Amino acid sequence: MIVAAAVCPHPPLLLRELTGAQDVAAPLREACHGALAELAVAAPERVVVVGGAGSTAEHTDAPVPARAHGGHGPRVAQGGALPLSLGVARRLLEETGSALPVELRSVAHDAGDAEIAALAGGIAGRRERVGLLIMGDGSARRSAKAPGHLDERVFAFDETVHRALSEGDTGALAGLDSVLAAELMAAGRAAWQVMAAAVDLEGSAVRAELRYADDPFGVLYLVGVWTCGS
Amino acid sequence: MLRLRGREYDADTALVMAIVNRTTDSFYDKGATWDDGPAFERVRQVVDEGADIVDIGGIKAAPGEEIDAEEEKRRVVDFVAAVRAEFPDLVISVDTWRAAVGAAVCEAGADVLNDAWGGFDPGLAEVAAQYGAALVCTHTGGVTPRTRPHRVAYDDVVRDAIDSTVAQADRAVALGVDPASAIIDPAHDFGKNTWHSLELTRRLDEMVATGRPVLVSLSNKDFVGESLDMPVGERLTGTLAATAVSAWHGAQVYRVHEAAQTRQVLDMVASIRGVRAPARTVRGLA
Repeated sequence: MIVAAAVCPHPPLLLRELTGAQDVAAPLREACHGALAELAVAAPERVVVVGGAGSTAEHTDAPVPARAHGGHGPRVAQGGALPLSLGVARRLLEETGSALPVELRSVAHDAGDAEIAALAGGIAGRRERVGLLIMGDGSARRSAKAPGHLDERVFAFDETVHRALSEGDTGALAGLDSVLAAELMAAGRAAWQVMAAAVDLEGSAVRAELRYADDPFGVLYLVGVWTCGS
Repeated sequence: MLRLRGREYDADTALVMAIVNRTTDSFYDKGATWDDGPAFERVRQVVDEGADIVDIGGIKAAPGEEIDAEEEKRRVVDFVAAVRAEFPDLVISVDTWRAAVGAAVCEAGADVLNDAWGGFDPGLAEVAAQYGAALVCTHTGGVTPRTRPHRVAYDDVVRDAIDSTVAQADRAVALGVDPASAIIDPAHDFGKNTWHSLELTRRLDEMVATGRPVLVSLSNKDFVGESLDMPVGERLTGTLAATAVSAWHGAQVYRVHEAAQTRQVLDMVASIRGVRAPARTVRGLA
């Protein structure tokens, strides 16, 4: 049974050691911590993390890939570290002191409907109380200085996501266009759709709350919590 | 480890020592801070620009008008006392080779005696020990103060600089100077031609390897001017290049005219070396 889902983005700069002397992502990290605290209130017995990556897979615990993004510490081949999205999730869970068992699942950025449905099917319908941690970013083309430069189509796309996460609208998330999402560099599309599909499978009511929505560096970051109950 | 005015600095912390001349005729500023008003303004400005130390001097290095100890004291002692009163935490250095002047400025609140003429007056190290001051031990090749190098030759200028400065530092420590406050300086241009100063810069890591804190005084000097064929006033770029190389090699104190630019170079090199976090990193990480 899915009791709640926290939604967080996964920019490398959430890893504190990567942002230099200034903690440029402090408000975002604080919002993520708040979402995880809210998730804990729903008393899950296990946290299932889902984040976009190169391929769909289940991961055993591995180092956070900070070194690959320029941080200090031992060099870990990227194949031996967690994908970025799961690594950031791991770090957020550590920072909030979560002691729950954690299951780490990546979903391919280009995953199609069947792949998403299969992954959702493996998460929904369990007897234990499951807390989802869904790692995903909005588009990265929201201004001329954004990582992907400006693409005017992002505003409608991001608005759809913003509204869907605010209102608990699984249908709107399921309807996101995977090709458009890839063109807009929206790294959260597949993970959000896994959440939507899993919640739909259980059919329980959703109470949604968006806790943070901003694009300080041209990428839309969304933090929210869905609480599920009949 | 370096200790100045009771504060400890690890080997990765580079300090800016800003030059404040109480002279009428120094080569770079040509008397700009001869009067008290401009001299105080200069101290305030360099502190704002990130200077950790001011180095106050009453006699220009090059040959010129004879300045006796009494006149040198008139130029620096009261000024040191006034700077100490306005900046209680600032590290104050005085550039002098005379023990009598050293004692007077230590009484007035100086923390460092910058013996730019390589132990010419052996009493200066005793004064440093007596007052608990730091001592800068420089290499001049044994020349008399305020003389220019003429046909100087060394078997190995780096070896000579290390042997001379380390011997002075060891003697100072034996006299009671804190080992963390016995600083060595290869003294670019002093008793050296440009080739010698370039080689000292290139091999500065050998001086750093002695374990003594290393000070370099590179600012706008002739070895920069001759390397680039640039007159005084157009040597900042070359000075900063030499600063960067010295920082890469691990020198710790930089005696300079331009404090703000030097601070930037030292911060940049420290970030490249990986001992200072960049100020703010977002590029590629959003």
